[in-house]
Amino acid sequence: MIIVIDGINQHKFKDVLDEMYKLRARVFGDRLGWDVHIKDGRERDHFDDLHPAHVVSINDEGDVVGCMRLLQTTGPHMLSDVFHTILDGEAPIRSSQVWEATRFCVDTRKLGRGRGENSVSYVTSEVMIGSFEYAKMAGVLDSIAVIDPVMNRVLQRSGNAPYDYLGTAKPMGKVVAMAALMDCSDERISGIRDYAGIAHDVFLTDEQALDLFAGAKAEAKPSVANFDHQPLSQLEKYFVEQMNSATSKDEIDAVFKLIEELSDRFTPEQKTALLSTPRAFAHEA
Amino acid sequence: MKLIDLAALDHEEKSTADIINSVCEELGFDYASYATMNPVKGDVQGYANYPDEWKIHYGSHGYHHFDPTIYQSVLSIAPVDWGRFNHDEKFNAVFRDAHDFGITSRGLTVPVRGPFGECGLLSVTRNCSDDEWEKLKRHVMGDLQMAAVQAHDTVMQSGVLAKALYLPALSTREKEILQWVAEGKSQQDIGDILSISHRTVEVHMRSGREKLGALTTPQAIGRAIGLGLIAPG
Repeated sequence: MIIVIDGINQHKFKDVLDEMYKLRARVFGDRLGWDVHIKDGRERDHFDDLHPAHVVSINDEGDVVGCMRLLQTTGPHMLSDVFHTILDGEAPIRSSQVWEATRFCVDTRKLGRGRGENSVSYVTSEVMIGSFEYAKMAGVLDSIAVIDPVMNRVLQRSGNAPYDYLGTAKPMGKVVAMAALMDCSDERISGIRDYAGIAHDVFLTDEQALDLFAGAKAEAKPSVANFDHQPLSQLEKYFVEQMNSATSKDEIDAVFKLIEELSDRFTPEQKTALLSTPRAFAHEA
Repeated sequence: MKLIDLAALDHEEKSTADIINSVCEELGFDYASYATMNPVKGDVQGYANYPDEWKIHYGSHGYHHFDPTIYQSVLSIAPVDWGRFNHDEKFNAVFRDAHDFGITSRGLTVPVRGPFGECGLLSVTRNCSDDEWEKLKRHVMGDLQMAAVQAHDTVMQSGVLAKALYLPALSTREKEILQWVAEGKSQQDIGDILSISHRTVEVHMRSGREKLGALTTPQAIGRAIGLGLIAPG
C-alpha cells in the first residue's frame, strides 16, 4: 500500500523515511553502482531537502519495499540541475503540469519473482499507480522520469511503456540514464492496474500507514500462510532455533541480518517464508 | 517583515488582479489570492480579492507571520486542501476571524516553485458542500495550476533584475514546434513532421507557453516572434 510523504506530514514519518533512504542506498549504491552519496547507510541528496513528495510502498509486514521521488519541473529538479547532459544542452521542460520522477526503486531482496503481492512486479506497479494518481489529482498531466534501461524494460513489459524520451540516453557512472515521458492519464493508470491486478484504492491515510509500519514491527502475528511452513533444510532449522533462543531485539535483528547475508542460498519464496516464520515462532515463544 | 498589497503598486495592479479575478469568475470560486515570500527580506507580497475589511484585519493582526495556508503549503509540491491542516492555535486564530468576515475555511492552495527555489502560492476558497467541493477540485485543478504559474511569473517579472533572469530559455524543440504552429500546422502535422508523438508536441508546447508566460498558443507565438525566438510564419 502507498503513503505519500511530503513536507507537511514528514514529521510523522521520520522512521519510514529513514527506511526509505536505507533502501535507496542498497539499490542505487550497492546494487546499481550509481554515483550517489551514501552516509551511514542512507542515500540522500540536496533535492530531498527541497520538500519533494515521496511515494512510498509499505507491504503487509510493515517494510518499506518501494519508493519514488516527485518534484515540480517549474522549480529546481534533477534534469535541470544534475542530469542536464541527457538533454544534449537543451533547456529543460518547465511546466506546472509536468512533474519529474526520480529515485524510483523497489526492494529486490525482500520481493520475489512472479506477480503476487510480494513481487517486484506488483510493487513496481503499485508505486507507479500511486504516483500517477497523486499527480492526476494535482492537475498534473505528464511526468518525466529519469530511469535506467533496466527500469525502462520493466515499464515496457508492465503495461506502462513511456510514450517518448527527451534527449538521449547517457552514461552516468557505471550505468546509463534516460529521461522518459509518461502521461498521467486514466488510460495509463487502468493499463497498469489491469496488468498488476490491482483494483483497490492504493492509498493509506497517515494513520493507517503509521499503524502498518509500527504494528508489524511491534507484534508480528503468525500469519495463516506461514503458520504451516515447516523448516526443511538444516540452514532453515538453524535460523528457527536461533530465533527461538533469542532474548532481545538485537539478537533477533542479528538473525535477520544473517538470513539476509545468506539469502543467495535459497529462492525468494523460501526467503520470504523464512523471514516470516521465525517471527511467528518468536511470537509463540 | 511587511505585508505588501501589490494592488497598491499601480504598475502591478492590472495583470495580477486580472488573473485572480478571472480565477474566481471562470472557475467558480468565491475568493482568490496570490502570495509569495521575498527570500531575502522575508516580506510577504500578495494580491487578494477578499473584502477590504478582511485584508486590513489580516495585515493589522500580522496573520501573514504564521498563516498555515502560506507556511504549510510551501512544504508540498501538490495543491494543498486546507482540510489537511491541523486545527492548531495558528489555524484557529486565522480562520475563526476569517469566519466572522464571511470567509470559509474550505479552500486550497496551489504552490508554484520557481527556478531560483522561490515559491508562489495561489489560494482559492468556496463555501459549498463536500460533494460540490470534491467535484469542483477534480474539474479545475489543471486550470488552477496554469493560473498559479501565470500569477507567479507576472509578479516575478515585475522587477528589472528578475526580468533579465526570466528571459525565457526555450529548447530547440520548443522553438521548432512554435515555428511550425506559426506556419499554420496542427499538432498532429507537427508530430508527423518531426517524427514524434502528438503528446510530446503537446508537452513541449505547454512548456513553451509557460516559459513565455502565455495563456494561449497564439499569445505564445506572438511573444516568441516579439522576442525574436522564431520567425513570423
